[in-house]
Amino acid sequence: MRRLFVLPTSRAGWGLLAAFICLVLAGIWPVIGLVNRAVLVLGLPLIIVWGYMIIFACVGVMLVGNRIVERDGHE
Amino acid sequence: MNSLWPLVITLGYVAVTMVIGLKARAGHRMDTLEQWGVAGRSMGPVTLYLLIAAGSVSAYTFMGAPGWAYSKGVAVFYVAIYLAYLALVAWYFGPKVWQFGEQFGHVTQASAIADRYQSPALGALAALVMSVGSVAYAVLQTVGSAYILFVMSGGTIPVWLGVIIVLACIAVYLYISGQRAIGRTNAFQGALMLVVAWAVGLWAVHSATGGLNMAAVFERIQAEHGEFLTLPGARGDMSFSFWTTSIIVSMFSFMPPVWTQWMCASSARTIRRSATWLPTYYVVILPMVIVGFIGIYSLPDLARADTVVLEYAMANLPVVLVGLLGAGTLAASMSSSEPFIHSVALSITKDVLQPLFKLSDAFTAKLARWLLLPVMALVIAPLAIAEPGSLVMILLVGLGFASQVLPAFIGMFFWPRASKLGVMAGIVAGFLVTVAFTTVWSHPLGIHAGFWGLMLNLPVFIGVSLITPATQADVVERFFRIAAPRGFKRLGKQKGSQAASTTSR
Repeated sequence: MRRLFVLPTSRAGWGLLAAFICLVLAGIWPVIGLVNRAVLVLGLPLIIVWGYMIIFACVGVMLVGNRIVERDGHE
Repeated sequence: MNSLWPLVITLGYVAVTMVIGLKARAGHRMDTLEQWGVAGRSMGPVTLYLLIAAGSVSAYTFMGAPGWAYSKGVAVFYVAIYLAYLALVAWYFGPKVWQFGEQFGHVTQASAIADRYQSPALGALAALVMSVGSVAYAVLQTVGSAYILFVMSGGTIPVWLGVIIVLACIAVYLYISGQRAIGRTNAFQGALMLVVAWAVGLWAVHSATGGLNMAAVFERIQAEHGEFLTLPGARGDMSFSFWTTSIIVSMFSFMPPVWTQWMCASSARTIRRSATWLPTYYVVILPMVIVGFIGIYSLPDLARADTVVLEYAMANLPVVLVGLLGAGTLAASMSSSEPFIHSVALSITKDVLQPLFKLSDAFTAKLARWLLLPVMALVIAPLAIAEPGSLVMILLVGLGFASQVLPAFIGMFFWPRASKLGVMAGIVAGFLVTVAFTTVWSHPLGIHAGFWGLMLNLPVFIGVSLITPATQADVVERFFRIAAPRGFKRLGKQKGSQAASTTSR
């Protein structure tokens, strides 16, 4: 048990972990630097639009995650 | 503002909340911590969604966030992003925490820590120091509540009286209905906040632009004050590094009331479903923030940035909406303070007093309810009335500490080898760095003090864990049957190699 660490045990699990990491990276530097411009998109500042895209992407990823968890019987 | 309507509406909200909180008991006996502490693990997905959402949306959303938009600009949106990340955290950890609670009988975060590391002392330490941050947070919210009553009454209800009114209401329904009151009142408060935020936001846009198109507000800001639309913000103090480390530190701050809320769910699936939709609630932030942006050009000389929504509403909105704004802001502050007050009483009793004095479960449950009263009357009320200048500092140190408890959770969910001494050493090292970089040298190099703390905390935690005895194997296996039901892999193993695993459920 000395060198063990919890990691995903399936391809879907690894995919989900990758999606979580991508979501977090999308909200911090350096990615946030790419959208740090004083332009408006749909009438809102780009950072606000980007922020809400991340927020709703979180919902999407968790919905996919729910399907994986329930399909694989992880409950 | 001479009309009585805002005060009547705000006090009407208080009365409705009282009734909901008192009726939440619904015939359940509150003489066990299972009931008073975690509502018998009975909450459905909608109640849980609103409980967590309303708990995380504090007076900050109605006052502080518009104030940040007014003074800094889009930098305020780091809050919306980290709140969405907290939903990811709840999605992954919440069901596991729920199973720990359901199978091992935990009702607090510190109980889980004490159990995992077989150390009541570590549990008590976590409970005590987490309580510092929790009390500071509850005091700040209570001050916000009292301020709202002061403004809505036109100064008739002084802050000290507002503090007493708000705490007395919360005390009565928390004592009688416990976590069930928090669930029901937060559900009501969460729905109210959402409606009020959008009603006030859209009305403000209409009064400022003559239409409902928010673009007109931002086009004017872009033309006249473009610095508000990018980092580091109008004051130049929200650098990329502070934005990034603030989000990371906030993500890893597992506050005790949130942990308790996860354990209130009726099933692991319930909490996963609630967490999935949780980010959608944070559309509540947008309309409030837009009022802050409107204030940039319509109220350019405000003395206090966090009064921008109240000032704008009182000058431009109908009295009914001003009253609803008062009710919504009060809902935001009360819905955030009551879980923290409940959590302090619960955790101090369960994790400090019970092991110290070898109290029975029945007496502990009774004591937790009574402890609410001295916590409110002797700690929160005097601090809220005194409004000490160092309160925000206490809060920052408290929240900085919350993130320093991260090693305890790494050992609970990811790394079986984590030891009691490793966790203690990591927490102490991280806490000292966080305190120093909050009070003496504030956020060096524009990096959040809690992040600096973690950078020392984690290596110390790993190093000390590797050279000190691990927790006994049967306890570790008991936890990891839940944390890693499919077994867990050896780091660095190639595909195809046999993964070491614990017993699968």
